[in-house]
Amino acid sequence: MIGRSIKFFLLLFALGMNPLCVEPVRAALGGDAASVASDAGEMRGTVHAELLQGYDIHEITVVSGTRVREFLNRGGVVFAVTWSGPVAPDLQRLLGTNFAEYTRALTALKQSGLHKSLRVASSSLVVESGGHMRAYSGRAYLPALIPAGTAAADLR
Amino acid sequence: MRSTLSIIVAATLLAGCIGGKGTGTNSTPAAPTPNTLAVIVDSGPAAAAGQINHAYVTVHVCVPGSTTQCTDVDHVLLDTGSWGLRLVRSVLAAGAVALSAETDAQGQAIQECFHLGGGDTWGPVALADVTLAGEVAAKLPVQIMDDSPGVTPPSTCGGNGLLLNDVSGFGANGLLGVGVFAEDCGDACVNASPPMEIYYGCTAAGVCTAENVARSAQVANPVAKFAADNNGFIVNMPSLQNANGDATVQGELIFGLGTQTDNALPAMGLTVLGADPATGDFNATYNGGTTVLPALIDSGTDDYAFDDPSILPCTDPPPFAGISFVGYYCPAVAPQTAFAVNTGVGVNNATNTVQFAIADPHTFVANAAAVINLAGGGGSIRFTYGMPFFYGRKVYFGIEQKVSGTYTGPFYAY
Repeated sequence: MIGRSIKFFLLLFALGMNPLCVEPVRAALGGDAASVASDAGEMRGTVHAELLQGYDIHEITVVSGTRVREFLNRGGVVFAVTWSGPVAPDLQRLLGTNFAEYTRALTALKQSGLHKSLRVASSSLVVESGGHMRAYSGRAYLPALIPAGTAAADLR
Repeated sequence: MRSTLSIIVAATLLAGCIGGKGTGTNSTPAAPTPNTLAVIVDSGPAAAAGQINHAYVTVHVCVPGSTTQCTDVDHVLLDTGSWGLRLVRSVLAAGAVALSAETDAQGQAIQECFHLGGGDTWGPVALADVTLAGEVAAKLPVQIMDDSPGVTPPSTCGGNGLLLNDVSGFGANGLLGVGVFAEDCGDACVNASPPMEIYYGCTAAGVCTAENVARSAQVANPVAKFAADNNGFIVNMPSLQNANGDATVQGELIFGLGTQTDNALPAMGLTVLGADPATGDFNATYNGGTTVLPALIDSGTDDYAFDDPSILPCTDPPPFAGISFVGYYCPAVAPQTAFAVNTGVGVNNATNTVQFAIADPHTFVANAAAVINLAGGGGSIRFTYGMPFFYGRKVYFGIEQKVSGTYTGPFYAY
């Protein structure tokens, strides 16, 4: 058992990740308000909260000019994330546990890599990611968690 | 003997006339620089056959200053939606060309994480002498897409989706980014604090830290670095022979705008769309909608890409096992027509409507590499005019801050 742990540590090192530096798991999409703060910390950004009737928006603005908005429903769960700015976002961070499903769907798309914009959608996850160097934008949401009365088009 | 002499005399007089000096002396003008590069749409490099709507060019690459350490790299994807030349390392190695990584002030190798729609490329920045037709971009910073076994980008690279460093994953031997900007990142990578996670300084041990890089050291659009014919370029593609797809299509990439007899900007009938100098995008609305979308004319995208929930998305396999069109539209009744209205940004604020058609890709000719009625779900955030837009058109691209006739880049025109 100990041997396996050491192997796991060595594997993480081999992958370029220092396991001693890994922070507690935080997932933006599907996560809670604490994960927003964690994201803001990692992105070295400032948070501005906007409280609406059906949901709250926590907006993180990063020094580079990239803006990330995380939408929390009344249950305190992040059900949508949007982004725009000059740098591509770290979707692994923003999508959290949904990133694996995203990359699986990307692999299924023909010629996904070169598209300047693309959409992957299932009943549980929608990701629209687009842009090019100097101008990236996109959004991801969990359809099942969108509050009643809120349209996908409102998630901007 | 006498007839030979008359021909020489006649030729001399003629040369005098062409030169416009009328002195009768030998003043034949220097031949213009060959400025036309062949473009071919075919099924792609052998390692990645089966590509659709990929426009390729062949790029001549040399170690800086050398005339012997050179190779011709074929099947480099022509991309009007990015900036800079990127070549797969193993392809350069097969051509016996080894380019050395540029180093920063600390002597660390400069490497780049370049973000594409569905993933990232990773590898060092190196200088190369690059020749396209007769035009030379000397000591051009290029990115080497590092497909060497065991290469792992830093944890901050690859989080955008897939890692796209090899020929089979990328569908090309490299990427020739010749859009409307001179460098890929520009000022945003020169003095950001903290630096953008795009350029990195890497120690010999492989520890990489994001850092700023001067514009002159950034991966650059070779056209902007030519000695002449550097204010823009034209992509000239013929119409398809068969509306359901052609096996190959040949067109041309013409360098310069209004600098030679073959690259004049037409005085009449040209729609000139100014681009946002920060993003390179103009504006578009789709099918009469009110949402203004950033838009791009992008030979690196294979289809018209936009969001329309009313059109059926392709779902396969089965019964189309082996030929996946997941991500594209499969309208029930084809061809379905649609339109978008473009508006330029800034002083070149023309408005123009583009009509196009969408068909079920399963109805295309088997093994066709060039198809026109192809559209896909690009999401509700952008509108992209991919390769189908280019067939049967001459599309003009004006590079930022460069003047072409009465227009200043960045702009698109058709």
